[in-house]
Amino acid sequence: MASRPTVTIISKDGTPSGATHPIPTVFSSPIRPDIVQQVHTGMAKNKRQPYAVSEKAGHQTSAESWGTGRAVARIPRVSGGGTHRAGQAAFGNMCRSGRMFAPTKIWRKWHIKINQGQKRFATASALAASAVAPLLLARGHQISSVPEVPLVIDSAVFEGGAAAKTSSAFAILSAAGASADVLKAKKSKKLRAGKGKMRGRRHRQRRGPLVIYDPEVDGTELVKGTRNLPGVETCSVYALNLLQLAPGGHLGRFIVWTSAAFKALDSIYGTTTTPSELKKDFLLPSNVVSQADLSRLINSSEIQSVLRAPKGTSLTKRSGIQKNPLRNKQIMLRFNPYHSTFVKNGLGQQKAEAGKPPKTAEAFLNVLKED
Amino acid sequence: MASQASADLVWEIVRNNNSFLVKRKASGGVQFSRDSLNLTNKNARKWAGFVNDQAIGVVAAEKDAVKVLSKKTSESNKPAKAITETVYSGGKSARKTYVAVANQAAKSNYRADLREAAVARASAIRHSYKTPKPSPELKLRGSKAKKASE
Repeated sequence: MASRPTVTIISKDGTPSGATHPIPTVFSSPIRPDIVQQVHTGMAKNKRQPYAVSEKAGHQTSAESWGTGRAVARIPRVSGGGTHRAGQAAFGNMCRSGRMFAPTKIWRKWHIKINQGQKRFATASALAASAVAPLLLARGHQISSVPEVPLVIDSAVFEGGAAAKTSSAFAILSAAGASADVLKAKKSKKLRAGKGKMRGRRHRQRRGPLVIYDPEVDGTELVKGTRNLPGVETCSVYALNLLQLAPGGHLGRFIVWTSAAFKALDSIYGTTTTPSELKKDFLLPSNVVSQADLSRLINSSEIQSVLRAPKGTSLTKRSGIQKNPLRNKQIMLRFNPYHSTFVKNGLGQQKAEAGKPPKTAEAFLNVLKED
Repeated sequence: MASQASADLVWEIVRNNNSFLVKRKASGGVQFSRDSLNLTNKNARKWAGFVNDQAIGVVAAEKDAVKVLSKKTSESNKPAKAITETVYSGGKSARKTYVAVANQAAKSNYRADLREAAVARASAIRHSYKTPKPSPELKLRGSKAKKASE
């Protein structure tokens, strides 16, 4: 890399503030959907609460098997009489009011341990993906009016609780071109299909932009300012969460950075050679393949210089293909030199010119059909 | 700053799941794309305009016009500036429109491989503006014709 690329820091009205910041090294970490997906599935399970059916369910009866010889199945049957319940099968998972198969237990393994190295890798990977515009589009974010990806807003804009109110927070986001994504999330709120409605998951909606801030510089007022904007989430740069950076395990969340948070990334993640200041024993992962652009690889002088020159011209003679003599006159003449005379004299049409053959006499047909 | 990830890498990430993809179980599981920079609406590396550094899109515009979208290579990380739009009005002759579309796709080392598809799409859009000819009245045949002539 000849010069480190920089990112424009935009001001309150969405125009460049003049200041720029070199893009932190974390944005060139390898983008690995496989790692992100695996870590995401693990992390998504860590918020679960145990549930189980009652320990007694299906067993609150004194049923005993009738044994053999009564011409009924040997399943335990409810004892006694005087009610329809007596004599009905019980306990089995196939029985009405029986116990379920393999009753769920509260000691199921609800939470998944994920190695810290993998979590850090996945976070770095998700951050790198958030700076790739096509991945944002593939996630479905509306970014057509966003001036630059990654989108960095000057921290001065958030100073003194300037984003403490929803209207002012939305004004800042829309000046930065992020309003389309916010409105998309707002309009997307739908009633969930199925039983989830009664289990605390009543609505489903899209995710909007994620605002990442530095609480020491920007304060935390913007959290209150944005919390009533549907789909907009906030996160401190010191406590990034993969569930927000790659929702559903899909890379490319649209992130709005404050300039202080963006600058903090350098010290939080370090580089591939200098360790992070805040994370113990952490070096950013480096790419295995440094040049992933196939056409540039193929057209590079190193590859081209060792390739054989192409054989023949751009027009190659098709030797194996036989042409159809019935369509191609020259091929027909090669097979049949008499063909030209045959066509010229109309020898093929001679019989047709003579007209239809005479009709068979009726007397003859009558003789033929006579029994 | 050029994009950190190459188009080849991005394609491998998004080819099976992206917001433009339309998967249907019919016809052996066809896969289409809703991307406006996709000339054939097929989900394929060549036509995936949002992935490629250079891409052409042809869409319908107001007043029988044809709008051509093209991606600027230099502004790949600036979505607001990345796409240029050119409108060829409905008043322009078909041939001139197609030449302009073809040149936009293939001239100055852009995407010569997209020329044919771009012109075909422009042509299809222009064709869609035409009001269909009224179908001719059916000629009567046989006994109905005899009755009508009497």
